Amino acid sequence: MKNNFIERSIIGALSFLKESIFAEEYAARKGFLQSLDPRVKTVTFLLFIVQVLFIKNILILFCLYALCLFLAWLSKIDLIFFLKRTWIFIPLFSLFIALPAIFSIFTPGEALFAFKIAGLKFIITRQGLSGATLFITRVVTSLSFVILLSITTKHFELLRVLRIFKIPQVFVMTTGMCYRYVYLFVEVIENTYLAIKSRVGTSLHYKKGQSIVAWNIAFLWQRSYQLNEEVYKAMLARGYRGEPVVLNDFRMKARDLAWLFFALIIIVAIFYSI
Amino acid sequence: MHIPDGYLGPATCGVFYAVMLPIWALASRIVKKTLKARQVPMLAIGAAFSFVIMMFNVPIPGGTTGHAVGGVLVAILLGPWAACIAITVALVIQALLFGDGGITAIGANCFNMAFVLPFAGYYIYKAISYNAPRGSNRRVIAAGIAGYIALNIAAGLTGFEFGIQPLLHKTASGQALYCPYGLNVALPVMLGEHLIVFGWVEAIVTGLVVKYLQKHENYY
Repeated sequence: MKNNFIERSIIGALSFLKESIFAEEYAARKGFLQSLDPRVKTVTFLLFIVQVLFIKNILILFCLYALCLFLAWLSKIDLIFFLKRTWIFIPLFSLFIALPAIFSIFTPGEALFAFKIAGLKFIITRQGLSGATLFITRVVTSLSFVILLSITTKHFELLRVLRIFKIPQVFVMTTGMCYRYVYLFVEVIENTYLAIKSRVGTSLHYKKGQSIVAWNIAFLWQRSYQLNEEVYKAMLARGYRGEPVVLNDFRMKARDLAWLFFALIIIVAIFYSI
Repeated sequence: MHIPDGYLGPATCGVFYAVMLPIWALASRIVKKTLKARQVPMLAIGAAFSFVIMMFNVPIPGGTTGHAVGGVLVAILLGPWAACIAITVALVIQALLFGDGGITAIGANCFNMAFVLPFAGYYIYKAISYNAPRGSNRRVIAAGIAGYIALNIAAGLTGFEFGIQPLLHKTASGQALYCPYGLNVALPVMLGEHLIVFGWVEAIVTGLVVKYLQKHENYY
């Protein structure tokens, strides 16, 4: 048996880091969405995502998806990268699970097409096909808006935007700090698995593999626990008194107001058409 | 178990946001009261910990791999209320920055994985390990059982949320608008894969991690 859990973990950690570097690179480009105030961009994108949930007409969904791709192009995002990033993995997985739903066994209705395989009759129904198409389009459109928001905004700024929603400080501060530790931990995982890989010369029984994984998680927790003390001292040294203080340096420009106006017109127009 | 956008209809999403709002408010109030100032970074570190647990691939028989969710482990380590905040934070970062789990489904995802999973797991662990000494094997077994049962409860809930979509949202002609499968399909599929595979991964990881941590008693 191959030790594929080691490789998969290393690949997972590396692709996570690679993706984050790509995202930061796109966020630093001088494109349309990158130039917008993160607050305005986040609010309008969240409204689009909520609206996608309410739309029942597939044509309107296609229009919104086209708008999303157009915005990606305006923001100097490589469309091939964007399509790959958005279609793999969730929409493809959704496509796979929605496939049986086009047949009459799961969605009875008006027959569109019928065929036989090994004596079994399969009927594709209009209701099944249009339901599955609507489902996939909805999933990919929402995900595209989320990914577009996250790759055109510096992650740290995106998390700071959460403050405008009056979320309790404990959540906002924890989110900002957590984001930094995720990178540290991912690096720890990558290094640990690389170290294991370099020392394991033979195939491991899965039980041994499981105990290695559990030991690593326990070890990560111990490191986290020790880190807590050091981080608290560092916070104290920087003037932490129990209440976090955050800077507010977001600024609205004419371009932001123009985008807000445009986005609201689209949202209201769609709202009245559904 | 992360529900993406588009799987649940607006009514379900709205209900779960409404249910989670008071839970989040209560969690932040309880944690603020009970957590000492010097433990504040622990919440963030715990959140990052629950974020990366899913990145640990665990080998399973047959040559393939799975991953644990870690919700019960985080609850045993931090307590259920702090775990609720830590997992919520991890889920929000996953949804907002990495598109893993939907934004509109954050309420439902948090209900399943940041509320039901840690609370069910924590109290099952407490009930089984009641009065057991810190280094006892009963605690290891309790953690494993708690991981298995709580994950399956959460998976069952997710299946239920998927399964009620065709009942709630359908056009007059019978076309599904969101998740196309009813309870008769969604519930057995979600429960089946967790009862047979992922529940065991969760049980083994939770139990073994508790076992390793027992050797270093100060850490939990």
